[in-house]
Amino acid sequence: MRSNVSDNNKIKVRLYAVLRELVGEREITITVPGGVTVSYLNNEILKKYPQLKSFSNKFVTSVNCRVTTGDTIITSSDEIALLPPVSGG
Amino acid sequence: MIRITTNHLSLQEVMRELEDDSAGALSIFMGNVRNRGRFGNVSEIYYEAYSEMAEEKMREIENEAQTKWAIKKLVTIHRIGNLKVGETSIIIGVSSEHRHEAFEACKYIINNVKTRVPIWKKEITEESQKWTDGILLE
Repeated sequence: MRSNVSDNNKIKVRLYAVLRELVGEREITITVPGGVTVSYLNNEILKKYPQLKSFSNKFVTSVNCRVTTGDTIITSSDEIALLPPVSGG
Repeated sequence: MIRITTNHLSLQEVMRELEDDSAGALSIFMGNVRNRGRFGNVSEIYYEAYSEMAEEKMREIENEAQTKWAIKKLVTIHRIGNLKVGETSIIIGVSSEHRHEAFEACKYIINNVKTRVPIWKKEITEESQKWTDGILLE
C-alpha cells in the first residue's frame, strides 16, 4: 500500500488583492508531497513566484477559512488562501 | 442578516430588516467613500473580499455581539467592487430594547469588521492605484 506521504498533491491556493495582482492569477496550483505543512507550501509558492518574496511577512495563510500557523498539515481537499493585511469598512 | 454584495446598499432595506416591535432603539453605522485618502484625492475605491471567509467572520462577530448585549436584530452588509466618492461601502444596523446596547454593539461590530474580516481596498486617485495598508489577520 502506498503511503500518503509519498503521493504528490496538487494544492490550489487562492490569492487576494496585492498578491493576486503581483502573480496575475486569482488561483494558483502548487504540487507538494502529501502530508506537508503550510510553511512548506508557502516556501514552494515563494520559489515559484519570487515576486511575492518581499511580501513574505505581509500575508497569512488560511485553511478552510481559518488563519493557520505554519505547522498546520494540508491536503488537496483544503481551501487555502493567502491573505494580505485587511482594510475593509 | 449578513451579506457581501456588488449592489448598491439600501438603508431602507436595512431598516426593514431591523424592524421589531420590542426594539425601542435602532443604531446604524454607514461607511462612505471619502474624497481624501492616504495617497491624495480619491476618485474611487475598489473593494475586494474573500467572500466565504468574510461572511463567516462577520457571523462570528455578530454572535459575539449577541452574547455581550441584549440585541433584537443585526445587519452587517459590505459592498465590494468599484465605489465612487460618496457611495456607501458598509452598513451596520442593530436594534435593541434600549439605546445603550444598540450603540455599543454597533461600535463593536464595525471596529471588528475593520480588523478581522478579509476585505481589501485599493485607493484610486488620478495619479495612482494603491492598496491600502491594513492589519494582518490573526
